Amino acid sequence: MNQCYGCTTCESADKPLEGFIQQLPFETSHHRVEGQSTKCGFGLQGVCCRLCSNGPCRITPEAPRGICGATADTIVARNFLRAVASGSGCYIHVVENTARNVKDVAQRKGEIKGVNALNHLAETFGIEEQDIHLRAEKVADAVLSDLYLPEYEKMKLVKKMAYAPRYENWEKLGILPGGAKSEVCHGVVKCSTNLNSDPVDMLKDCLKLGISTGIYGLTLTNLLNDIVLGEPEIRMAPVGMRVIDPDYINIMITGHQHSMFTYLQKRLTDEDIVKKAQAAGAKGFKLVGCTCVGQDLQLRGAHYEEIFDGHAGNNYTSEAILATGAIDAVISEFNCTLPGIEPICDRLHIKQICIDSVAKKANAELEEFDFENREQVTEEIIDKIVKSYTERRSNVEMHLMEEHGYDNTLTGVSEGSLKDFLGGNWKPLVDLIVSGDIKGVAGVVGCSNLTAGGHDVLTVELTKELIARDIIVLTAGCSSGGIENCGLMTPEAAKYAGPKLRAVCEKLGIPPVLNFGPCLAIGRLEIVATELAETIGVDLPQLPLVLSAAQWLEGPALADG
Amino acid sequence: MRRIIVEYEKCDGCKNCSVACMQAHRKTPGTVYDLDLTNPENESRNFIYQAGDGTYRPIFCRHCDEPECVMSCMSGALKKDPDSGLVTYDEKRCGTCFMCVMNCPFGVLKADRVTKTKIIKCDFCAQDGGEPNCVKSCPKGAIHVEEV
Repeated sequence: MNQCYGCTTCESADKPLEGFIQQLPFETSHHRVEGQSTKCGFGLQGVCCRLCSNGPCRITPEAPRGICGATADTIVARNFLRAVASGSGCYIHVVENTARNVKDVAQRKGEIKGVNALNHLAETFGIEEQDIHLRAEKVADAVLSDLYLPEYEKMKLVKKMAYAPRYENWEKLGILPGGAKSEVCHGVVKCSTNLNSDPVDMLKDCLKLGISTGIYGLTLTNLLNDIVLGEPEIRMAPVGMRVIDPDYINIMITGHQHSMFTYLQKRLTDEDIVKKAQAAGAKGFKLVGCTCVGQDLQLRGAHYEEIFDGHAGNNYTSEAILATGAIDAVISEFNCTLPGIEPICDRLHIKQICIDSVAKKANAELEEFDFENREQVTEEIIDKIVKSYTERRSNVEMHLMEEHGYDNTLTGVSEGSLKDFLGGNWKPLVDLIVSGDIKGVAGVVGCSNLTAGGHDVLTVELTKELIARDIIVLTAGCSSGGIENCGLMTPEAAKYAGPKLRAVCEKLGIPPVLNFGPCLAIGRLEIVATELAETIGVDLPQLPLVLSAAQWLEGPALADG
Repeated sequence: MRRIIVEYEKCDGCKNCSVACMQAHRKTPGTVYDLDLTNPENESRNFIYQAGDGTYRPIFCRHCDEPECVMSCMSGALKKDPDSGLVTYDEKRCGTCFMCVMNCPFGVLKADRVTKTKIIKCDFCAQDGGEPNCVKSCPKGAIHVEEV
């Protein structure tokens, strides 16, 4: 660990958070930026090839090819395809589990919270089935069977989900994807050494993976979750570390798979379980949102007001959230669960539980979620958390940040709730764009990283510049967590917008930045874009619309376009 | 007078110093992300020599106290600056005789690869206030600037 904690943290767009992290008595990722500030120039350019044992090979004027003969273009394309394939694999894992959850709920005749969402998907897929549970099962099966197709068989739902002009284009280019899991395997094979050396061919594979990731990993994950977990509803909610209430047993959740918490979050509000918390001296249980799964709960928060406290912060806020001392356990199931939380959890006696082996942390207990044994596993998890609470609370000092964040942050925005808000169609928004009151629409999506100027610095600055130019901003991903903690998603933020956008926001009582939730909701932005294009009667490239993942972090962020 | 001091035991041979040098002396504007690593016009003023026993020798201009290159330069292109102690090179005065290349005891001077009419010579990153970019980029601290 660094010796001097206070003086080496990186900048954050969230100044109160930056100050909080600076005075922490232990190291966080924000402290480690300085120590890792010397970057390898070859690595930055993507021309370090370490795929085979001849390497690492690097490209210089004296050595313009790797030992195998690969040029800089081949090396870059191979590295890029590898990153996109692994990123796609991550999202396909998420949609697979999500579809399995819908199927499980359907087979158990469980609660279908989003009947509209189910009917909409069934109609899109061409599924006619009277029984609601059978209908849900068939929808889930349609997705799963596509995911498991071989690479040489095209997925069947792509045509049903895609905007027609786009589909025609993809067909013409020969980039319609085969089975999504097989495409990941195909990509990994293709970028291995001494196979493909054609950069254009490999980049075409990246586009294919982009289509399967976008339609299945993103869009369908949202729509399937809406069936079981409920559809987003626009409302005001608190955000930031102020949401943490130390009177409760607090569980921080990290990951991307809201479906895995379906049973647990319901159980935590049952009377017998609440009594367990009360017996330990707490008022009950609260889930504290962190990373994208927190954004997902916030988005559907109207359905979970009792158990969900609010979204505290994005990936690189997680260490600070733990440092408050008021978190008693972390349940993780996917990225972004930073390895850097481990020493902090150890130090503050925070129980780490992992419910999906793909995200097993070194010092977490693996309590793998499975449909068969979930009742028993959930009881075990709850008992362990209560035990952690009982043992740790008297030994740990609180460093709460009760003033951090904002109370009245607009959330619950989705393709459906936004359209309802506009009166059931997109005409009001189209009219505003045509009249020039809204100059355009920009999606500021993706992750947060600590190097592009610092934590959320580029994301927040870009957003401010866009709204100042009367461009409305839609967000999805950890960018949402950063921007909302900087106050740009409160109606009062209208004052940062250009005069025309400001007038629109003040009239409607909305902020100039609309939060669609997790990175998965980039799929929802795709739906908004498609429906806008449909309303006007043009193809997507003709829309005054841009998308930026200004602070993208890793493979999934490269695949989710 | 400031010098780049080399501690070769610490060198991993990562060549980051060379990339930093290429970036610092490129003719086109841009960041390291768009630096053309295959273009000989961007060649580095320093290089890493492999000793053959698994260790490396970072080869840098020492701006010597008694510079052989200056002493052998007939045109006056190479000069020892009495104030800064740096050995400077004036491309316009260079007669392309390469006596400096022949005489450099460290073997760091070389003819440029593209035109073979001038030499590639460390200028201590004068354009960046005399703070050498190679030193800033070394992850191991194998090179550092010292007042001598």
